[in-house]
Amino acid sequence: MRFMMLMIPKGYESAAPDTMPSAETVSAMMKYNESLKKAGILLALDGLHPPSTGARVTFPDGKPHVTDGPFAEVKEVLGGYWMIQVRSREEAIEWAKRCPASPNETIEIRQVQELADFPPDVQKAAAGYAEMQPHARKAS
Amino acid sequence: MRFMIIIKATPDSEKGIFPDEKLLTEMGKFNEELVAAGIMLAGEGLQASSKGARVHFSGSKRTVTDGPFAETKELVAGFWIWQCKSIEDAIEWVKRCPNPFNEESEIEIRQVFELEDFGSELPAEVRESEERLRAELISRQK
Repeated sequence: MRFMMLMIPKGYESAAPDTMPSAETVSAMMKYNESLKKAGILLALDGLHPPSTGARVTFPDGKPHVTDGPFAEVKEVLGGYWMIQVRSREEAIEWAKRCPASPNETIEIRQVQELADFPPDVQKAAAGYAEMQPHARKAS
Repeated sequence: MRFMIIIKATPDSEKGIFPDEKLLTEMGKFNEELVAAGIMLAGEGLQASSKGARVHFSGSKRTVTDGPFAETKELVAGFWIWQCKSIEDAIEWVKRCPNPFNEESEIEIRQVFELEDFGSELPAEVRESEERLRAELISRQK
């Protein structure tokens, strides 16, 4: 089963555009990342620039509307993610607990949809999607 | 530059309602365009937050809360990773995306940190460790 661990850092919603994690934070996280890799469960990971450098697109009347970041009234934003392959939801939670996260941070654990999770008609319509990705998915 | 294109959750996505065939066909076409343009690196959908959990950190203490989570609008329903020339380029592509749900929806565009963004501040061993990790992840995918 694949799970996404979503890092939600409180305060990042209003962080300045040039905000970067410190070398100490990156070093600690790299040790954690190495442990995920050694366990053979790490599939992908990325950190995201602050939302103040981002944008949002909404489709209120069918047409796209663009809003530049930071996004007012937003209480939580994504700071980064890990994609892991584990045997159960419990195992994913155990790995999240080992992260050297700060008190302002929360990790959300969400299962990734696999083609087999969908009803047959949806599977048929989505056939070929996995092959489209250069970073092809692992069998789960 | 890489961008994470985040499809935000809606009441329907949180209920686990599947998209209809028309929307799936439109999305399939859009995905094909992304691939043909060489910008699609990855893309996944997530199961509803009711099946998820959250871990909160406080010193050495870890608190686990089971989903669903209240802020539906801020939850992630799915994402792509795209390689684009600029954020403007990424925004233009998102504007061409079919509305991802048959209700009001939102897509967020965020730039991904690259090793180069950290400049010389990062200790050499951390940089090397990160490079090794990335190289290994890519070789595993092949």
